[in-house]
Formats: sequence, structure tokens, C-alpha cells
Amino acid sequence: MRIRAFHTEGFRIAAIFVAIFALSAAALTAVTIVIVNSEFRDQIVQFANADIAAVKDGYRTNGEAEAKEVIGQRMAAPGTSDFFLLERGRTPLAGNLKPMPPQTGILTLPYPGNSPGHAILGTGTFLAPGLYVFSGSDLHRARLAQRRILFTLSWVLVGALILALLGGMLVSRSFLRRADVIVRTCRAIMAGNLTTRVPIRGTQDELDRLSETINAMLDRIAALMNNVTQVTNDIAHDLRTPVTHLRHRLERARERAVTTEDYDQALEAAIAASDDILALFTALLRIAQIEAGARRAAFAPLELSALLTHLRDLFTPVAEDSGHTLEFMLEGPLQVPGDRELLTQLFSNLIENAIIHTPKGSRVSVTLKRHGHDAVVRVSDDGPGVPADEHEKLFQRFYRREASRTRPGFGLGLALVSAIADLHGARLEIETVQPRGFAIALFLPITQA
Amino acid sequence: MKILVIEDDLETADHIGDALRAQGHEVDESFAGPDGLAKARGGKHAALIVDRMLPGMDGLSLVRQLRREGSQTPVLFLTTMSGIDDRVAGLEGGGDDYLTKPFALAELVARVNAITRRGDQRQTMLRAGDLEMDLIRREVRRAGKVVDLQPQEFKLLEYMLRNSGRVVTRSMLLENVWELHFDPRTNIVETHMSRLRGKMDRGHAGELIHTVRGTGYILRAD
Repeated sequence: MRIRAFHTEGFRIAAIFVAIFALSAAALTAVTIVIVNSEFRDQIVQFANADIAAVKDGYRTNGEAEAKEVIGQRMAAPGTSDFFLLERGRTPLAGNLKPMPPQTGILTLPYPGNSPGHAILGTGTFLAPGLYVFSGSDLHRARLAQRRILFTLSWVLVGALILALLGGMLVSRSFLRRADVIVRTCRAIMAGNLTTRVPIRGTQDELDRLSETINAMLDRIAALMNNVTQVTNDIAHDLRTPVTHLRHRLERARERAVTTEDYDQALEAAIAASDDILALFTALLRIAQIEAGARRAAFAPLELSALLTHLRDLFTPVAEDSGHTLEFMLEGPLQVPGDRELLTQLFSNLIENAIIHTPKGSRVSVTLKRHGHDAVVRVSDDGPGVPADEHEKLFQRFYRREASRTRPGFGLGLALVSAIADLHGARLEIETVQPRGFAIALFLPITQA
Repeated sequence: MKILVIEDDLETADHIGDALRAQGHEVDESFAGPDGLAKARGGKHAALIVDRMLPGMDGLSLVRQLRREGSQTPVLFLTTMSGIDDRVAGLEGGGDDYLTKPFALAELVARVNAITRRGDQRQTMLRAGDLEMDLIRREVRRAGKVVDLQPQEFKLLEYMLRNSGRVVTRSMLLENVWELHFDPRTNIVETHMSRLRGKMDRGHAGELIHTVRGTGYILRAD
């Protein structure tokens, strides 16, 4: 059986920590054993030195007999060495050790009776020429202490390992549970339920941040999908009309046309109608392209008052011919980063809208001002205006007001304007004009966003 | 004139070929990039019509290669996408003009004519019949009398004069005279053209600028 908890990142991290802990515990144990060992040896040697000092004292005051006496006392007292030997030549005088060749300094002797694991550590010295004394203790005590430390630490280590293992499993199980939620959400979305979102716990941890990022990505995808769906539907709907008209015309020509001229006319009309349909496609493609944002690379510094002056020269005769007054009030020079071609199209669109949607005799004005960090271009007219509840809809593709349904056009102008504005990080605002009229303002950031 | 059409869509290629032959041109055709490049190198063509998307080697690389080899043959690019960046890339890559599919044949013919018979850009006097344009003094005279023109009208007339005897389309005027790369919804072209004609032809015998129905205009001194 494959236990999933062992395959998670949480468990892996826990395992690494357990390994590090085990290694450091082993190192600690080794160091402790070395220290304890040397401490024990030091202590044994100290005892032996103290005993020998006492024996020396006794010998100095009252000779050999007193030395024997001290050894006897010391052997019986607690907190002293285990073994003593006082010998002259190879003749034992006192103590519990067999006579041996005298050696001075700190030495290790075999334990009497050949018992494994035991040895005697002690100090030997001459009290007088030929009179040798040795005092020492069993090293076994040090070994016992070592073993106890090793034993205790091993249990602590085993306990810690079990705890770490359990902790790792717990952590990874909670991690898995949350990862499962994300996986389930993604599966639900793949299955088609685009509205599902990963729950956020509000703990601001990594998984929460991941969930938030996934949700933000899903929101963006949903928005794009909606957009695509809407455009597809729009195309399907709005293309039906011109294509149907085209078909009607061709049918009518087949029914009614008699002379070559009639056919010519029908063909001209059919070509014009298909041109309209192609123009609609071009407009849609252009909006899609701009919305895709690929054009930012073409941004360059642009002087707005020069650009608008060019448009003034272009549109003034047009406005005059249609009985409109077109006036420009340009504060400048004002430079913004932008795409010349697209901004030209944007402003042309707004100016043309104002001319097309207002009656003869209306006044259209274009102003350029600086406002904080924005260059503000405002196109306003004193025409009939648009009710406030329709303002939002104006930027939608294919939205056409009742009053303008009879005029040629697709209702894509302001959708394009809005796409270009978005590309430039600019804000578009429709403003109500008193007592009547319509104004639309573009706030273009002067420094690149 | 001999014109090479490098286009992989056979229907479009035939369509273009027929239209150019109808105008009295000789047409070579190629349907792939490498073959097109070879034909363009060998033939003495007056112009190339090159699709941007070609099998083997794309149109832009093809023209870049030709330009590197020193070829000066005028090039008209064709593209299916109304890619805004495509046009700039095409012109920077050595194209002389750019046309988005689908296009009217009249538009294609007019543009091919415009790129093949590009006049001397350093000329300072432009003439057609009794009309004279002095590009240095920025002055226009018809039959010796000064015609007072606005800057936009001057630019428009200059373009008409440089292309005199050839049809110029609305979109050529929009792009080249006013730098508008989209189809306006108001009649900018008609308005400016009628003002220019009004000023030029007022009090003179014979119109110089004629409307070509469904296509554009032509400046012609009869």
C-alpha cells in the first residue's frame, strides 16, 4: 500500500529534520561520553592522590606503622580509593592488592581475577627508597555511567523520532487536505464549472497565497472567457443581419432584375454589403488585437496638442459641411507616452461621434488640459446627450442607441475607444453636461505606468 | 510591365494575375517563398506583390533578403491579418506599401501603379496642364493665377500631382496625406477634395481632378 502522506513535501521536510536531529543527538552523545569518561578518570586520580597524600603524611609523622594504619582507615572509609598497596621490595605490607613491580605516576593495572570490563586506574609513588605505595579505583564505574548515558539518550532519540514522524504525518495530512481542496477546485473548473473558487482560510500562509493567486488567475480567465463568449455571440448575432440583407438583395435581383443595368446595380450593392461585413470583421479584429495588449511595444513620446491640431485641420471642414461648429482649446505642449496611430483613431472616433450624433447647428468642442499627472482630452457637445443609465452600455460592443439604429455603423466605435484607452492605462469618463449635451473625457497618464 | 506575384493562395493569385493582365501587365507567379526569391532574383520585374505568409520562407524574410542583395524592385505586401504592427514591420523590412486582404482589385492596381512609377522625390516644381506647384515657395498657380490653399489642401494637391495620371484611392489618400490608418465614418476625403477642387477649378476652364466612381480620384490634364 502506498501511503500518500509519505509522498508529500511536508513529510519530506519532517524526515529531513528527524535525520538532522538524530545526527546531532549522536554527536552530542559522543561528546558527552568523552567528557564523562575523562571526568571520571580525573576523579579517580584525585581520590588516589588524596589517599597517597594522607599515607605520606602518616609515614612522615610516625613511620611505616602509621602508613599502614592510614591505609587501613582509608580502605574502610567511603569516598576513597578502592585499592591500596604498600610494599617494600616485593613484600606486601598493607592493602588489598598483590605485590607488583613498582611504577610511579598515573597507571592502569589489570583487575585482580581477570574480570572483563574492569581495570584499575590509580597513582603509584615511593614513600622512601624501597617503600612503594599505590592507590587506585575500578574504572568500571566510568563504563557504567557511559552506558547509562547512552541508554537514556537512545530512548530520548527513539521518542523524538516517533514524535517527529507523527508530526510530519500530521503536517503533511493537513497540507494534503488543503492541496486536495485546490485539486478538487481545479478539477471542477476543468469539468466546466468556471465559477468555483479555492476557499481561503485567512491565515495568510503560503497555501492561502497560492489559493489567492489561483483565484485571481481564474477571475482573469473567466473575464477573458466571458469576453470571448460575448464576442462570439455578438459576431453570430450581428453578422446575421448584414448577411441576411445581402442575401435579400441578391434574391431580389434574381426575381426582379431585367436589364444589365439592374444586374450591375445589384452586384454593386452586393459588393458594398460584403465590404461592410468585412469592415465589421476588421473592426472586431482590431479591438481584439488591442485588447491583447501586444501594441504597447509601439509606444513613443507623443505631443498631444500637435496631434489634436492635426485633427482640427482634418475635421473642421467636415464639421462645417454638416452644419456643426467645431472648436479646439488646447493647452500645450503636453507629452504622453502612447501609440500615435491608435490615439489618432481614438480622438477621431470621439470627434466623429459628436458630429454624427448631434443635430445641425450643434457645437462640438475639444479641450486639452493638464490635470495632476494626467493629460485630459475632453470632447463635448451640446446635443441631446445620453441618459445616465445608458452610459455604461455605451462602451459595450455592438451597443447601439435606439436613436442611432438607423444610421450606418456597427456600434463598435466606443468599444474600440475603450480598448485603446485601456491599453494606455487611461481612464474614460462620461460626463453629464448641463443643461444638455454629452461629454467624454480621457485621462491619459503623462508618465508611463 | 512585368510583375511577380508571390502568393500561396491560388485563388487570390489568379484573381490578382487576371486583374493585372487586364491592365496590360505581364504576370509571373510563384506559390512558395524560396521559389519566389529565386524568381525575384532572376527576373527583371517592375514590382513584386508578396504575401506575408508563405510556405518555406515568409514574405518579410524574402524581401529582407532581396534588399540585402541590393534589389530595389518596389514591393507591395499582402496580409490577411489587419495586424497593426504588421504594416510597420513590413515597411521597415523593405516593403513600399501594404495591403490587407480582402482588398478591392482597383485598390491593388492603384497601389501597384503608385509604387512602380514613383516620381523623383527631389523635384521642387510639380506641373499638370496649366497647374503649377512650387514646393519651395509653397505656392500654387493655375494659369498663372495664385490659388490660395490651406496646408491640408496643399498636401492633398501635392500627393495628387505626384501621382498625376494615376488613380489614387480613398485609403491611399487617408494613409498618405492625413496619416489615418482606419476608415473614418465621416466624409473627410470627399470634404477636403471638394474644397480643393472648388478653389482650383473656380474660374478656370476644365476640371483637373476627376472622380473615379467606386475607387477614388485621378488628376489629369486633358
